[in-house]
Amino acid sequence: MNPAGIEVKNVSMSYQSESSEVLAVKEVSLSIGKGEFVSLLGPSGCGKTTLLRMMADLLTPTNGSIEIAGQSTRQARLSQKYGIVFQNPTLYDWRKVKDNITLPLELKKVPKAERERKALELLELVGLEKFKDKYPWQLSGGMQQRIAIARALAMEPEILLMDEPFSALDEFSRERLNEELLAIWKKTNSTVVFVTHSISESVFLSDRVFVLSPHPGRLSAVVDITLPRPRTKEMRNSPEFYKLITQIRDSFEGS
Amino acid sequence: MATIRYKSKQLAMRALKQYIMPILAGVLFIWLWQQQIFHKLFNIRLHQLPLPSRIWDTFKDNIELLLSYTRYTMTEALIGMLIGSLIGFGVATIATAWPKWGSGGLLLIAALNAVPIIALAPIMNLWFSDGLGSRIAVVTVTTMAAMAFNAHKGLNSVDPNALDLMHSYGSSSFQVFRYLRLTNSLPYVFTALKINATASMIGAIVSEFFFSSGGLGYLLSNSIKVAKMSMGWACILMAAVAGVIFYMVIEKAEKWSVKWHSSQRNML
Repeated sequence: MNPAGIEVKNVSMSYQSESSEVLAVKEVSLSIGKGEFVSLLGPSGCGKTTLLRMMADLLTPTNGSIEIAGQSTRQARLSQKYGIVFQNPTLYDWRKVKDNITLPLELKKVPKAERERKALELLELVGLEKFKDKYPWQLSGGMQQRIAIARALAMEPEILLMDEPFSALDEFSRERLNEELLAIWKKTNSTVVFVTHSISESVFLSDRVFVLSPHPGRLSAVVDITLPRPRTKEMRNSPEFYKLITQIRDSFEGS
Repeated sequence: MATIRYKSKQLAMRALKQYIMPILAGVLFIWLWQQQIFHKLFNIRLHQLPLPSRIWDTFKDNIELLLSYTRYTMTEALIGMLIGSLIGFGVATIATAWPKWGSGGLLLIAALNAVPIIALAPIMNLWFSDGLGSRIAVVTVTTMAAMAFNAHKGLNSVDPNALDLMHSYGSSSFQVFRYLRLTNSLPYVFTALKINATASMIGAIVSEFFFSSGGLGYLLSNSIKVAKMSMGWACILMAAVAGVIFYMVIEKAEKWSVKWHSSQRNML
């Protein structure tokens, strides 16, 4: 039983390309507990995004099964068990920041007063109250991604799926947003699945890192991140931090 | 304070540069025309191409007639364009929702669009008698295509991530249409309306050449037939002014309603 977690059982995914069948994900099994913060880490072509999209029911596995909070991925999607954040903020240019955040609520016919209240609460959570009446394109890339996170949290999902959300940002914004994401995670008690190709980012954020290797995409190692919580900026310079990074890098070379 | 004044001065300079060249070119053109340079150059007589001063006099003397005929022609153009654009958008919507059916509809519109106005005019006259109806029908047919093709593109060139996002919310295809595709198509719809502003006037004026008892096209063709060239040119002047105003109204509406689009942002 895994009531609010994610169970991936022996999942494979293959694409039909012009000449042959390409195996994007091969026989991956993993289990994510409630409230856990995990990363799917690997180079491009390792199937990490494909795996996340299968969890989100945006793709269907060729083989195997995925359960989210005891439900099928389809049921989980329809009952808004997860919120999703893409690499690209994917905000609607014609909607003000607050209306972007409450889009999922509007689609579920939540009354306007309730939406306004929720928007303010979420804007406070991501620290952008002042920008509620701006349009997305008037904000920086980092701010846009914070709005996308707020939108993903609008339905108060148990699970947050994040597909390389900070990879388009500069190093400084990325590190600051890593810290903010951990603060948000602590407040919301959600389970987070975070896709990234940055080893240090995955170490800084996660409880566990699932290391995937490419061609075909498969699970090659699971690394427990033993750094204490709350994580701080200073930890980035600690010997344990470097040790974990080295350990993960070695697991790549071993595969 | 000083910098603001400097900036406004700069803006004024830019506006001056933007408009002064076209205006100078226009003035030069009319002056050369008035001095009969073109007549000498191309060996044209005065009764073939009247002088600007004559055209202007005719224009002023007949302004009431010209204005009432302009109202007549614009009524045809406007109603025809509205109906044509609505049908075009409707076909684009059907083609988006049911691609199999809709692509046939788009093909049909492409075929209709290839029929020349001079062939359409007598047919529509036969179907809708020689009142306003037949010209409205011609304009309808000539404005459907631009709207159908542009709207179809706007409804379908949607960010794939945005579609995934809507899918993740479990939204219906109607919600995807209402919340994403419709607004996404607006910039394309306005492109179609701008094309149709002039296309509808051409449709109305040309179809008035046949079986009409009013309108700028009727006056234009009759004036040319009896060699009243300055009256013909006054009609052309009137049509040009009306066309530019029509276009500018649509441009204004575009600025107001798609101010979020990247093409309009610098004007905020």
